[in-house]
Amino acid sequence: MSQQNQQPTKSHTAPPGKPGSGPKGPQGGPGAPPGGKPKGPNLFALLKPYKGMVILLLLLSFISNGINLWLPRLTGKGIDAFTHQQQDMNLIIWKFFGAAVGVFVFTWGYMLIQTYVSERVARDLRTRLAERISRQNYAFLQRVSSAQLLTNLTADVDSIKMFISQAVVSLFSSIFVIIGISILLFTIKWQLALCVVAIIPIIGITFYVVLIKVRALFKSAREIIDWLNKVINESILGAALIRVIHSQQLEYSKFLEANAKALGLGQRILKTFASLIPVIVFTSNLATLAILSLGGHYVIGDNMSLGDFTAFNNYLTMLIFPILVIGFMSNIIAQASASYMRISGVLNAPDPVEKGTLVKELDGDIELKDVTMTYGEKKVLKDVSFKVAAGSKTAVIGPTAAGKTQLLYLLTALNQPNEGAIYFDGQPLADYQKESFHRQVGFVFQDSIIFNMSIRENIAFSETVTEEAMNRAIETAELKDFVDALPNGLDTVVSERGTSLSGGQKQRIMLARALAIQPRILLLDDFTARVDTQTEENILANVRRNYPGLTLLSVTQKIASIEDYEQIILLMEGEMIASGTHSQLMATCPEYVQIYQSQRSTSHYEQQELQSK
Amino acid sequence: MSSKNYNLNSTAGPAQKTAIWPALRKLINLLPEQRGRLYLALFIMVLYSVLTMLGPYIIGQTITRYIQDKTHRDFSAVLRNCGWLLLIYSVTLVTVYLRTTLMGGFGQRLLFSLRNAIFNKLQELPVAFFAQNKAGDLISRVNNDTDKINQFFSQSLMQFVASLFFITGSAIFLIALNWRLGLAALSPALLMWIFTKFVSPWVKRKNAANLKSTGAMSAEIQESLGNFKVVLAFNRRDYFRKRFAEANTHNYSTAISAGIANNIYIPVFGFLASMGQLVLLAYGVYLITTVHFEVGFLISFFLYLSYFYDPLRQMATLWSSFQLAIASWDRISQILSMEPDLVTLPAAEAAPAVNGADGSAAGSALLEFSDVSFHYPDGKEVLRHNSFRMEKGKTYALVGPTGGGKTTTASLIARLYDPTGGTVYLNGKDIRTYTPVERSQKIGFILQEPFLFTGTVKENILYGNEQYVNYSDEALTAVLQQSGLETLLSRFDEGLSTKIVSTGDGISLGQKQLIAFIRAVLRNPELLILDEATANIDTVTEKLLEDILRRLPATTTRVIIAHRLNTIENADEIFFVNGGEILRAGSLEQAVDMLLQGKRVS
Repeated sequence: MSQQNQQPTKSHTAPPGKPGSGPKGPQGGPGAPPGGKPKGPNLFALLKPYKGMVILLLLLSFISNGINLWLPRLTGKGIDAFTHQQQDMNLIIWKFFGAAVGVFVFTWGYMLIQTYVSERVARDLRTRLAERISRQNYAFLQRVSSAQLLTNLTADVDSIKMFISQAVVSLFSSIFVIIGISILLFTIKWQLALCVVAIIPIIGITFYVVLIKVRALFKSAREIIDWLNKVINESILGAALIRVIHSQQLEYSKFLEANAKALGLGQRILKTFASLIPVIVFTSNLATLAILSLGGHYVIGDNMSLGDFTAFNNYLTMLIFPILVIGFMSNIIAQASASYMRISGVLNAPDPVEKGTLVKELDGDIELKDVTMTYGEKKVLKDVSFKVAAGSKTAVIGPTAAGKTQLLYLLTALNQPNEGAIYFDGQPLADYQKESFHRQVGFVFQDSIIFNMSIRENIAFSETVTEEAMNRAIETAELKDFVDALPNGLDTVVSERGTSLSGGQKQRIMLARALAIQPRILLLDDFTARVDTQTEENILANVRRNYPGLTLLSVTQKIASIEDYEQIILLMEGEMIASGTHSQLMATCPEYVQIYQSQRSTSHYEQQELQSK
Repeated sequence: MSSKNYNLNSTAGPAQKTAIWPALRKLINLLPEQRGRLYLALFIMVLYSVLTMLGPYIIGQTITRYIQDKTHRDFSAVLRNCGWLLLIYSVTLVTVYLRTTLMGGFGQRLLFSLRNAIFNKLQELPVAFFAQNKAGDLISRVNNDTDKINQFFSQSLMQFVASLFFITGSAIFLIALNWRLGLAALSPALLMWIFTKFVSPWVKRKNAANLKSTGAMSAEIQESLGNFKVVLAFNRRDYFRKRFAEANTHNYSTAISAGIANNIYIPVFGFLASMGQLVLLAYGVYLITTVHFEVGFLISFFLYLSYFYDPLRQMATLWSSFQLAIASWDRISQILSMEPDLVTLPAAEAAPAVNGADGSAAGSALLEFSDVSFHYPDGKEVLRHNSFRMEKGKTYALVGPTGGGKTTTASLIARLYDPTGGTVYLNGKDIRTYTPVERSQKIGFILQEPFLFTGTVKENILYGNEQYVNYSDEALTAVLQQSGLETLLSRFDEGLSTKIVSTGDGISLGQKQLIAFIRAVLRNPELLILDEATANIDTVTEKLLEDILRRLPATTTRVIIAHRLNTIENADEIFFVNGGEILRAGSLEQAVDMLLQGKRVS
């Protein structure tokens, strides 16, 4: 027994030299994990700003637990008072009642504060996280992934919340109760107390051993749950495809595999716990036996009163729960520490340094010099150089996966080139203050990104948009008829992922969003893909009319609509193959001619359209 | 036969009440074959409780007879009784182990079945369900709410049931020992019951509200983070902050209310339990002085009372997690109660099979729309009384302005929706009479928004393909070569084994469309619908795709929706879809004319 005690005792502060010192050490057993894990950011440091609240919280909980400890003592006194025919029964009853009311008030008080503090911390932590994330750049988000940030903001914050709402008070008050009971028992009858208190290390150590085993299992359980969730999420996001292919059975078997694993693991965890509970129950029963036999012996020999005997029984029932609580809390603390470590990773991520200070009205000259961009291992752009004159129209064409979209991301400073530089009006893009830069560059993304708000808010997404600018953008994007036909007009709320809109409508809303900021430069990413030819022609004509002097850079597939552009850039597998006007490229670039040929059969109709306008 | 409302957040009436017992029964009914196990577990629990209850009785007896009573003090008798107790405790040891494994095992299995049931239901529900609910909200429901139930099952259920047995057992012993004192000591429990009865609907409401706002918050985060590049490009970092702050603050206030509600039980229960002890002390002492009642039994009484009130107080702690689980269960049962509306009709209930318009057998008409109308649940009308036929082996194009109803028409052909009026015939038979397996074999549909699963290119192109599923890379490459699909794979760095992350940015939209194309063509359908399936693919590659389409078997019918005219110029027939009408355009020139003149009605 004492051998077992030594190890945990070492890591603990020296216990006071009372008879209680022996059994006190092992409390370090289950309680050790919080103290024994110095690595990572300290969870308790998180509570610093709420110090006052936490102290009040602990104070209230100590008072309520302290009174609670006194109750069995009172009961014992009551029994003795009766057996000794004393007449202070009334006083004892009133004391008891007063104590019960006290416990009620203080318990409620600390629980309310506990809720308040934990929710406050969770809210503040979320706000801090969101604040941090919002200051990051696109590269950060690509690196960290939005799925992980979602976990940080929800599950991780929840586990810290749980730490505060359950662990902090439970941990300290459990230690308080265990020590308190031990002291009380020792003052009543130390020999008997020794027997009873002996159960603390037995239960504590068993629990600790089981928890270590279970923790590893919990970790794999979490992984399986993540896997389960991934299957579920993809089955929700890919719902339409699954129904077209009728692959529900396939999804189900994927799911079943994960679910069966989860079941198996759940049962293993259960088995481990199943070995723990009997030990606890049996040990505490043994303590009961000790009280009955040894205590009975003392009472028979008139060495102990019957009231004290009762008090021992009552204290025993109060003693077991806190031991278990400490064990469970060490689990919660471990989880919360892991969560806090992940969160700290985001919180401590350095702010991207905003070096740019240049605020200037853009003319629209763009120049790329030897720009190289790598994505993972792969070079998506290799030594790309070209110039775009202000007010001109430039098209970028090229096959799938040529690096066209990446090029646009560089031009909007969403990503930074690994080599080379980009200049606007002769100044490096890095020198520009991003806010003022973005206010002048409109970008229509390839994928439909519609927010779950009204059409008005979707279009006037940038704050600087005036009513007039918005109306002009709507008219230019040929959205007026569509909007007017809606029952709520501009205030119609469009849903997440824009499911209630057609592909072309989403695309046009996104164009209007970009135009509404009255940009000096407009970047289009495959804008024409989902818009019919007629609308496209109208829209481009509108843009020319309503936004004179605008520099246009358009990634596209369709040669017919860019034949009159000042410059066409042909991109293939990250390399710039050729650049020039349509007629120059037709004369010099076989790849361009090939693309042209692939579309030629339809150009006849496109021409017809142009003439009919 | 109207299109159904699947919106989970609108079908939920204001704070509907779910009684606990029916909810539990419904849960347990998920596992009919485990009933025997459950009964065995319950029996073991009863046994365990009875054994535990015997302890205080023997202790009380011992104290009364051999310790307290000064004339009969007998330590050897005390030791003898201790021996009996030890025997009982040893048996208890076994029952404790059994009850944990049996009851816990039941909980785990129940959870397993529950997850299966949810997933099955999700798979049964039609596209309309997913279109009407936010993906974020659905995911939160399925993940978080199952997790809440999981927590209850794996951590609290056993204690919960054990507590119930303890409470009942000790109450019986208390009343049996001395009914007056027993009833008096138990009376505060009645107050607990009344209190719980009054308070728990409020607690449940608060928790439901909190769960809802948590779901809304995670949907908000998902939307903002998913669209972060727009947030950046339009200088709206503050948008993210603001929207999030709103959701966060709302969640905070609902969480505080829920916390206040959840925390009301413990202090109240604790106080009432103390009142029980107080009553026992006062009334017990009174009884001892007036009636014949021994002090030893007073000690047993205190033990029983703690067997009664301690589990009750524990239940107060568990109650909130129970309430949470019930609230989660409510949200999940909402999904479980959704009925799929696209059932396969028996031939008798379907519209009669059609013969060709001229009275001959259906002949070569593969697909026919007969007086088909469609409107969404919100009343937005998309198609009005349309009839047309599509024949085997031909290529059809659907053109028209955006929002004109092309995708809806295609969705009706693939029976992702049922028309709200009229009938769609496939091979002369009501399309609703085909089983989903038959239908999905006959009809291939390349969706406008390509979706890929996390995995490899190979896994994605063979997704749901039973024919080629076990093919090696070489065998599959040979198959791809035959249909000319192999050249498309050169667009991927590592060919078939290129890694794909479902929601990642690693591959372009055009590449995604290529995979979706290969996936659909490999399935070799009788009718292949391409809904702007090549919109983001360059024209040179697109030419390749056209060749591949041309090389499909002569009987394959193609339905192509596209904006690019070159994609549709080889169509045998062109339909112009706009303003609720599907019109035959005759020639390409005519179609162009219609496009030019056609006003957007939508």
